[in-house]
This record gives sequence, C-alpha cells and structure tokens, in this order.
Amino acid sequence: MEKLTFYALSSPEKLDRIGEYLFQKASRDISRKRNEFVMIAMEAMDQLLVACHAQTLNLFVESYLRIVQKLLESSEPSLQILATQSFVRFSNIEEDTPSYHRRYDFFVSKFSSMCHNNNPNLVTMEMIRMAGIKGIQGVIRKTVSDDLVENIWEPVHMDKIVPSLLFNMHTMKSKTDIVVESGISEEVNDKTDSFSLAESCLRELIGRASFGHVKSVIRPVLKHLDAHHMWVPNVFATQCFRILMFSIQSQYSYAVVETLMTHLDENSNASPKIRTSIADVLSKIIAIAANESVGPTVLEIINSLLTNLRTSVTRRPPSNIGLSESDGENEYREALIHALGEFAAHLPDYQKIEIMMFIMSKVPQFKSSNNPNDLHVQRMCLKSLLMVSTKYSSVQMNATFPQSFLDLLLKTLTASEDEIRFIVLRILHTLLDRHNNASKLSKATVNISKSDINLEKCSRSDTIFIRKHAQDIYVSIYESLEMTNNTVDNIEAVYTTLALICIELLSEETVLDFIRLILSIQELAITNAVLSTQQKFQLHGLVISIILLVAIVTDLHPLKDYVEKVIEQRKLLNATHLLPELSVHNEVKSASLLPAGVLIEEPELTEALKASGIDITTETGPVLAHRRSWVENTNMSMKGSFTDLSNLDLDSVNSTPAMQRRFSPNEDLSFEAMKRSLLDNPAVRVEQNTRQTQLCDMFRNTSFQDLVAISTASKDEESLHSKITDVFNKVDVSNKLSAVETSQQPKPIYETLFPELFAF
Amino acid sequence: MEDYKFLFKVVLVGNAGVGKTCLVRRFTQGMFPPGQGATIGVDFMIKTIEIDNEKVKLQIWDTAGQERFRSITQSYYRSAHALILIYDITSQPTFDCLNDWLREIDEYANNRVLRVLVGNKIDKEDREIPSHVGQDFAQRHDMRYLETSAKQADNVEKLFVQIASELMEQAKSKGISSDSPQSLPFNTRTSKSINDYCCNR
Repeated sequence: MEKLTFYALSSPEKLDRIGEYLFQKASRDISRKRNEFVMIAMEAMDQLLVACHAQTLNLFVESYLRIVQKLLESSEPSLQILATQSFVRFSNIEEDTPSYHRRYDFFVSKFSSMCHNNNPNLVTMEMIRMAGIKGIQGVIRKTVSDDLVENIWEPVHMDKIVPSLLFNMHTMKSKTDIVVESGISEEVNDKTDSFSLAESCLRELIGRASFGHVKSVIRPVLKHLDAHHMWVPNVFATQCFRILMFSIQSQYSYAVVETLMTHLDENSNASPKIRTSIADVLSKIIAIAANESVGPTVLEIINSLLTNLRTSVTRRPPSNIGLSESDGENEYREALIHALGEFAAHLPDYQKIEIMMFIMSKVPQFKSSNNPNDLHVQRMCLKSLLMVSTKYSSVQMNATFPQSFLDLLLKTLTASEDEIRFIVLRILHTLLDRHNNASKLSKATVNISKSDINLEKCSRSDTIFIRKHAQDIYVSIYESLEMTNNTVDNIEAVYTTLALICIELLSEETVLDFIRLILSIQELAITNAVLSTQQKFQLHGLVISIILLVAIVTDLHPLKDYVEKVIEQRKLLNATHLLPELSVHNEVKSASLLPAGVLIEEPELTEALKASGIDITTETGPVLAHRRSWVENTNMSMKGSFTDLSNLDLDSVNSTPAMQRRFSPNEDLSFEAMKRSLLDNPAVRVEQNTRQTQLCDMFRNTSFQDLVAISTASKDEESLHSKITDVFNKVDVSNKLSAVETSQQPKPIYETLFPELFAF
Repeated sequence: MEDYKFLFKVVLVGNAGVGKTCLVRRFTQGMFPPGQGATIGVDFMIKTIEIDNEKVKLQIWDTAGQERFRSITQSYYRSAHALILIYDITSQPTFDCLNDWLREIDEYANNRVLRVLVGNKIDKEDREIPSHVGQDFAQRHDMRYLETSAKQADNVEKLFVQIASELMEQAKSKGISSDSPQSLPFNTRTSKSINDYCCNR
C-alpha cells in the first residue's frame, strides 16, 4: 500500500490509470461477491484520495465515484455502508479545482432511499439508515460550497433529502421514545442514533442555506408534514421548526415565518384543527424571528396575521351568526392572536407602539353597523390589540399614547357594542397599569387601604399628559357609561380604568378634574332617564369607591373622612345597594331609594377638599359651572356620535394646536395656572368659557390666513404675560399651598415649557 | 470496460399493496417474498440484463404506495426513463385510482417518459377488472399494457425486457453515438444522461 501511495505521488499523471484499474478490479470483485477484495480496493482508493493532491485528483475521483456507486448499487448492506463511509471521508476532502461534470443525483436518490431502508433486521436497518443520512450530509458538504457542481438546492434534490431527514427524525423518535429536549440545545452530543444525526444534518443544511434557498428547504418540510398528517398534534412540527429557526442564519429567519404564513394561507380551506396547529407552531417560532425582523417585515407579518384573522371571521357562514360557532374556528383565532402576541412580545417597545397603532388603524371604524361580521372583525382586532398591549410595559404615558392612537382608542370606547367597550377598557388597563395594581382593583370596593396599592409619585411628564388629555379621556369614559347596554363587567372595568388613572396619573394639581368627572357620573346616575335602575345603583357604587380611592391615593384625609361618613350613612340607612359589590345587587330596588345623606354632596365635598389643603374658597360655583358646561359638552358629542359629523368636528377642534395654544396659559402651565383658576372668581371663569367657545367658533369658521394673523398677533401674548405676572403675585400671597414646591420652582418650569408650547 | 452499455431508470408506482415490491423482487432476485411489509419511502434495486448482446443496466426505484410518502416518491418520477404503473386486477379501487396516478405522473415526471400499465396478481381467482378493460384504459392513455403475476413469475421478465428494449430503441434512434446530449430522449438536466454510461474507452 505504501508503495502504491508513493508511486502515485511520484507520478501523478498515472493516477487516473490507477483509478481506472482499481475500479475494474473492484467491480469484478463485487459481481463475484468477493467482499474482502472490494474492501481492500476501497481502502486503497481512500488512501490515495487522502494522500494525493488536488489538481491530479480530478479524473481519479471519477473512477472513485464510480466504485462508490457500484457499491451502493449492490444489495449487500455491508457494501453500501462501506461505500458511504468512504464517501463521507471523500466529502471531507476539500477540492480546489472545480469539477463541472460530476453529478450527484444518483447519490442523492440512493442515500435518500437508504434513509427509508426497511431491513427486517433492526440493527442493519438502523445502520443503513444512518449511512444514508451520513451520505446525504456528505453530498451536501460536497455540493453546497461549490457553485459549479450540481445545485443541491433544486427541488428535485431537496424533495428527496428533506423528507428523508424528517422521516428519520420522527420515526426514530417514536421508536426509541427519546424525550427530546435536545431539540433546543444547540449541540447534539449524542451522534449515535439516527434521530440526532438527521437533526444535525438538517441543521447543517439549513445553516448553509442562503436566502434564496431557504424556501426550497422549507417547502418540502411543509409538504412532508402535510403528507404525514403531522400538524395535529403538532409536537413534531413545532420541534422541526424550532430546529430550523435556531439553525438558520439569523438574518433569514423571518423567511421561515413568511413561508409558514403562506402555507397557512394556502391551507385556508383545511380543517380548523390543522390551521390552529399551524398557527400554534407559528406562535411558537415567531418569537425567535422577532429579534431579527425589522421595519416593514414586522408590519407585513402583523398584517398577514390580521388578514388571516379577518378571513377566518368572514368565513363564518352567515346562517349561524350569533349562534355559537364551531370551536375549531375559535381556537384558530385564539392561536393567531396568541402568535401575534408572541411576536410582539419580542419586539422592542417602540415597535410595540407602532404595532398597536397599526392594529388600531386596522380596526374598522363604524358607529352603527348592522353587519355582525364587521363587529366580529372589530372584536378580533381589538383582542389582538389587547394581546399586544399586555406585552408592552408603559414607561411614560405620553410615549404609550400617541395622540392618534389615543384618539382612535377613545373613539372605540364609545362604540355601541358593550363587549367592544369592555375590550377597549381592558386595553387601557394593561397600558395604564405600571405597578401591577389592575388585579387588585378589578372589583369596585370600599375596603381598600393604601398599603394594598403600589404607589409612585406621578412624574412631571405624566402630569402634563393627563392635563392635556384629561378632557378627551374623561369625556369618553363618561359617554361609555351612558350606554344603556353596560353590564356589570363594563362598569367594573370602568372602575378599574378610573382607579388606574387615579393611581398612575393623578397628582394634587389634577385631582380636581377627576373629582368633577366623578361628580358628573353621580349626577348621571341620578338624573339619567334611560339607564336601568340597576345600572344606576352600580354607578353609585362605582362613584363611592372611586372617590374613596382618590382620597386614599392623594392623601386627602378630610375627603377620606367625608367619604367614609357617606359610606357609613349608606350602610346605616340600609342603602347598601349604593355600595359595592356591584354585581351583588341583583334585586331591583326602586329608584327613589336614595335617602338623604347618602349621596356625595358638593358643599360637603368642597369643604372636605378645602380642609385637605386644596384651597377652593370660591370654588363651589366654578366646580359646578365647569362641570355643567362639561356635561353639556359631552351631551353634545353624544348626540353627535350618532351622526358622526359634529363629533368628528369636535374632536378635531379639540386636537388642533390652535386650541391647545389657547389652553396653554390656562391648562398646561399646570401648577400656577391651576391655582389661578382656583382663585379666579366664577364670573371670570364664565367669561373665559364664553371666550373659549367664541375662539373655538372663530377657528372653526375663519379662513386659515385669518387664523395665522390672529394667532401671531401679540394680543394673546400680552394677555398671557399679564396673567403670568398676576399669577406670580398670587403665588407669593398664597404661598402656603405650595408646601412641596417652592414659589421659585414654577418659574424655570414655565420658562422651559413656554417656548415649546408656543412654537407650535 | 464498463459492464453495461445502457442505463435506464425505472420507477414503479401504484396503490399500496398492489405488488410493486414483489414484482421487483421477483425480477431482481427471482423470489416471491410472502408477507412483504409495506415499503417505506423508496427502495432501490439494480439488475443488468442482456438484449441483443448488449448489456443493459436497470436501476429500479420501487416507491411506497402509501399516501404519506407521496412527497418523496414524487421526487423520483422526474429522473425516470420508464414508469410502471401497477394496479391489482382483483381490486377495483386500485384501478380507479389510475387516473389520479396519471395526473401525478403528468405533473411530476418527464413528459416523454415511457409509461407501462401493469395489472398484477393474475394468479388470483377473484378477478374484478377484465383484461380488456385494462387494455382499453392503457390504449386511451397511450401506454403499454401487460398482465403479470409476481407470485408465478408470469410476464415479469417479459415486462422488464420489453421496457429495456424499447428504451434502447429510443435511445438508439435518437442517436446515441452523437455527442449532443440534447438529442437524448431524456431530461439531461436532472438525470444522469445515458452518455455518461455508454462509453467504451
């Protein structure tokens, strides 16, 4: 042997002749079944291959491969295995000269069929199958790196290779019952069973796949799973895709998701079970892709998920609308939503907001649609939104709620469907709840103490946020309470929302608005003619528990005392129906059962507020006046909500910068402005209100140029200045209020805020 | 010297249990394996026969009939030179499926592939498909027709020999000696062209 090697090395030109000879010798031996000689010849070939160097190897390899093929063609398992071993060794040799004419398709075919070997002898079978897998691995190694050789990625080959690997993966698994968690581990330690061998081979394959080829790998996988009915149950499918996801070059991983998604589209007529499973697999792998996907792909994925949801909804036969539908379809939707949530969970926060806005924009906006399908779509979209929002953790409210998102959300809050309102409220819960209080506040209660709640001082930007948006939010909540189809759940949810707002966003400066809202709600409960008695009682319960919470959260002891007195009173006068638990009061009592002293009376409330350090000496009037105008305001938009137009108008006016600018001296400069408004006498207030409406009308009716002229006029500025100086004077006088903040503090804040607000 | 002049790939298809594997076994190994289990995926056999003093090597790919292996078996159609479509003459359903099989062949196989229809199990008494029905069907779809019994070795040899000689004719008439592989009747892109093997250096 050594001599042969030496000879071959010293005269490389003879190498092909040697190869030729060895080949003939070997094939003769094969046909005469002299296996030992075959093995010797094979070994010689191997050694020559290893010893000799590239350039001269080319022709020799030809004859070498012919021997291998010859061996593979024989029906002897031992020879087949021998051939494979040798081939694997060969495949590890790096060739530097391209070989244009070499063809591997026989090898692919043969190795694939070896993978399916069904030898009666289990050991032989196992060995042959392993050999097949190794052979495939060899072919892959040999061809992938070399562009000139056959394109291994062609479907002809992939359709053989991939199913063979998969087949081995699942049959072996079921046979040996390996509980494989190694599916996740990156390293396959145990190479002895064909399962892990096939797995690692698959990993290698997908790991080498370039973007264009990913699909040609995935397609046979999908086909195989289809053919073997492996979507239900989807354990194997999940495992498979995990393997793919972990091994694929990470920048391509979204392609897998995409392909699976297309597959889902293609299977849109399959049974819901299959679709559920596919969606489930999707949800399990989608997280892996999320880290890598960026920009438009994210929205693309979300979009196609939503589209699937939609088609699933619209697929319902119109006949059984309203009836309970097949469970499968529902599960499918759940799975889709789950997938969406999973996906969103692994995206950075800023993208979550983007996604939420995207979904929100997909939610159909209509007020009174009779089409149950549309409603259903809406419900589904909102559910998915809820799912995404649960994955999002708010940090700053103004980042969480961009204007347009908040607007849409609030608009949906006044939808006519109680269920939809409920979902929106829950979205609000998840988004507002930064300190995990939601679960504690899920039921309205009067038995609450401060220690139950995780509190944190409201930050500056949050205060600004609530100042800016309080009107919109409160109006929407109020409107939603006016709906006649509110269930207990709805009202509980409103309670939670308000409670969360109270905890997360309220500070001393903003508490007043909030209390106004509460009073409005109470008034609603007293005066509204449409609501059922029961609903009114529930509202009373809501009011009392929320105001108690306000008192607790903001440390207003007198207020708390007062509220507790009212509660006592209610208990005393056997008016427990006005207290929580909301859901307990099933028996409908007469609406006139409102004994004296059980309501929260405004004078007392004012007293209490005053006593707690909020100076509202002359405030009684304004509170009411403002509240009334505010209620009118809501009524107006309520009416508008049915015709949509005026409502829209109002909204847009509310959100135009012009209005904000007008408000800015009043509202947005919070602390001092607040105080000023507290100290202003009612007349001024009313006058201001009328001025506001005038201005509002003006902005609505005049042309743009006029507006520019007006807004640039210094009049506004001057009045602002004078007001500010006013305020400062008053600040000096009523310094006792700012126990926490010194009187100097407002100035820098004002200075920093002023240019920004005015620069609109 | 190479020990054969032509290499042809023959693929057997048909419903599960019609006797594909038995037919192949009978031909290549001369035996009838009783109680043959279902094939998994694809099985491979080789046999060299002599026609007109020329050695012809047949690569026989025996596919699984079961539905679940369809995806892998389909991938073998393309490179085939001849397809043997088998049904069981005692079972109407296997005959009824022939149309589906043909559709599949049209979809995945080379359109110039040689197709042969085989009714197997003629040794059995309870025939359901009369031979003229099979004959008609074959004619309608431009196929050869043969009835065989793997158990009694009826027509098995004949079947493969016929295929081999026909393929040889084809190959010769298309000019096997010519250098241009395009003139070959088979898809040279995906299959090993005959040229690779019919060399005598």
